Amino acid sequence: MLYLSQAIGRPVRDKLGEPIGTVADLIVAIGDRYPPVTGIVVKTNGREIFLHWQSVSSLDATGATLQTTAIDISKFHQRPNEIRLKLDLMDRQIVDIDGRKVVRVNDLRLDEVEGALHLVAVDVGASGLLRRLGVEGPWRVLARGLHRGVPERYIDWEDVDPVERTIASVKLRVPHKGLAELHPADLATIIDQLSRNDRVGVIASLDDEAAADAIGEMEPETQVDILEDLEPGRAADILEEMDPDEAADLVADLSEESREEILGLMERDEAEEVQELMTYAEDTAGGIMTTEFVAVPAELTAAQTIDRLRELEPNAETIYYVYVTDAAGRLVGVLSLRDLIVAKPDKPLSTFMYAEPVAVKTDASQEDVTEVVARYNLLAVPVVDEGGILCGIVTVDDAIDTLLPHPSRLRMPRIFGRTSSGSER
Amino acid sequence: MKAPVLNMTPRTVSRVRMAAILGILGPGLVSGFADNDAGGISTYSVAGVKFGYDLLWVLLASQIVLFFTQEVGARLGLATGQGLAGLVRERYGVRWAAFMISTMLIANIGSIVAEFAGCSAALGLFGWPNWASALLAATVVVLLLTRGSYSKVQYLFVAVGIGVSLAYFVSALLAHPDWGQAGSALIVPRLASSPAYWVAVVATVGTTITPWGQAFIQSYVADKRLGPEDLVGERLDVGLGALLTNLIAGFIVVACAAGLWATGQHNVTDVATIARGLEPLAGPATTVLFAVGLLAASFLGLGVVPLTSAYAACEAFGWETGVDWRWREAPAFYGLMVFFVAFAAMFILIVPSNALIQVMFSAQVVNCLLLPFVLVFVMRLSADKQLMGPLVSGRILQAIGWAGTALLVVLSMTLVVTSVAGIGAA
Repeated sequence: MLYLSQAIGRPVRDKLGEPIGTVADLIVAIGDRYPPVTGIVVKTNGREIFLHWQSVSSLDATGATLQTTAIDISKFHQRPNEIRLKLDLMDRQIVDIDGRKVVRVNDLRLDEVEGALHLVAVDVGASGLLRRLGVEGPWRVLARGLHRGVPERYIDWEDVDPVERTIASVKLRVPHKGLAELHPADLATIIDQLSRNDRVGVIASLDDEAAADAIGEMEPETQVDILEDLEPGRAADILEEMDPDEAADLVADLSEESREEILGLMERDEAEEVQELMTYAEDTAGGIMTTEFVAVPAELTAAQTIDRLRELEPNAETIYYVYVTDAAGRLVGVLSLRDLIVAKPDKPLSTFMYAEPVAVKTDASQEDVTEVVARYNLLAVPVVDEGGILCGIVTVDDAIDTLLPHPSRLRMPRIFGRTSSGSER
Repeated sequence: MKAPVLNMTPRTVSRVRMAAILGILGPGLVSGFADNDAGGISTYSVAGVKFGYDLLWVLLASQIVLFFTQEVGARLGLATGQGLAGLVRERYGVRWAAFMISTMLIANIGSIVAEFAGCSAALGLFGWPNWASALLAATVVVLLLTRGSYSKVQYLFVAVGIGVSLAYFVSALLAHPDWGQAGSALIVPRLASSPAYWVAVVATVGTTITPWGQAFIQSYVADKRLGPEDLVGERLDVGLGALLTNLIAGFIVVACAAGLWATGQHNVTDVATIARGLEPLAGPATTVLFAVGLLAASFLGLGVVPLTSAYAACEAFGWETGVDWRWREAPAFYGLMVFFVAFAAMFILIVPSNALIQVMFSAQVVNCLLLPFVLVFVMRLSADKQLMGPLVSGRILQAIGWAGTALLVVLSMTLVVTSVAGIGAA
């Protein structure tokens, strides 16, 4: 086991034990579970030379010994997946995927794995910090005297996600595989802790759906910042993946310039949907409704409708009601998911649907919507226009937002506290 | 592809505009107002009472330096999206970061003690004992931390700050100052050889340009996620902040110069003297006004300074920062805060109440002595092309920055030399 800080600055000797310089840095190849050391940077006569790991016979806390007597100064090419440990990782911020937070690298731990030296863990504990400050020994003596331990904390390299800017010297696309597997709310919390450049890097590496989910969990201001920093085409793709009501709220907050550009790049019907939603005032049924809902004609049977649901794969919040519309799109009935499932499969919807569904007009106030939802114990209420055409639905979670005190927005600097996305709703 | 026609309601448009304006105009202004904390108000008062208009040129000079240091700090935040402490750690390693943080913490402990002293001095005017005001100050910090409604409270402070500034403006007018003398003192530097004069110069600079102010503006800008495109707005904001701060400082000096110094009262032992000295001019409400102003200034400082230093330390060492974490999750952050508050409270309890103003004043001297250590990092980082990209300091900005830093070093050295000489002579 070797800590990077123990090797840096130690002498490098050739085969005969003649000192030729000091250890300046180590190079590893990223990609494997534990990145193997592939090269060493030696500082000699004020300049840095790169040597292949094959030419190093040993490396420990006393220094490095080379296989050869003559230094082979053949040009070392840093490959795209290689990073320098000290330059690129030491003292930088990384994402601790397991702990879901951003931490700073105090030291790097190297271990022999299958006969070769690999980067295995990141030291983020107090002991690493003390070692770097050169006071680990005295401190341990002191701690032992007080019968206290020195807190050690390591993050396995597998659970580490190096943030983008960290790898400034190499054009390396960090895959952020670990991040993509997190719950969107956790991901949003992590992204919230990152600086602007890192944030864009992480979002850029996610697929559209994961990015949309994570952005959906963020504060409105953060959403706007991120979307405006992204390349417009990408921003449009992500918006298409979001719920239309969320997307409309977000688009409304963008600057006029980016709004037009991004909407222009979205698919036509998605863009139109978003724009239509934007025409409603924010605190009305139209402003809070989503246009994603399931509407079917009355002639369908229960079994056909269930098949249709399977086909559409509606979101969790919109699956509970199936709305029945006539040829003109007017709302004529409603069914709950339960009604559908308990009905005989070949029964037409018209025979068991509620023919006089509760609905609100697009210009109904948010308070009215909330009241309707509460009075009738609904999971969602349909929204119709003047002509009775079904335009959208307001789900219960959007309706009850009015009942809660308005959350303090992240207008203020982070220096006064990190508002986690959890406090948003 | 043609962009679809947009049907925008006016509501959303105006909301965006407001957010954009509020979004940029902020860091520099808040930082500026926070400069006029308890230490600031007492230092300016003492300067006016002891030396009349003589120190006005220092205000002008330090305003210029303040603008440039804050501008660099803001630019670092815009370009890197990181706080100062984190940047020093990444660029120069753990040891330099530890060195800078220690420097900052020492300076900040001084400032926090000064805020506590400000509370005690202000409430002392209403007959509060020291322990009661220390208790109040400690409670305020705890409430600010635990209640999380900090963002609103801070605007209240700034509002009170503006109100108090107007009060100083009015008292300065009512004191019928010698504007001609004030004007010439503003432009023509007066150099005196007395150590006391240089101490006052150093304190005045030290209360205007502070180590925590440097960390504050950079973290604020970074945490607001402002970027290179906000450079112009940020410069405007910083300039406005520096201007307003020093305008207020100027009026405090002028009010005290005209009200006390001109009438032959050159010695100040406590704030009560200053408040009563201004009373004949602005009426009996002056004492109350002065006390409320000092109290608000102390709270403003208490809200900003301990948080900034704890934040910087945690940023450099990668500990959880910010009031959103639970105590158990961020022990270092809260531990530092508790230490600050406990230390300052203890200190105030053992200090006799007639030494409070001296404590506030001395803290600013310490600030100024430690400032160059922080500024050297700021200047070096801002000249790093790789780090700063297009926002890197050009030759002129670099020259100004280094000249300002050098000036501060010379000033600090002058103080040390004159103090040593003064001790030797005595």
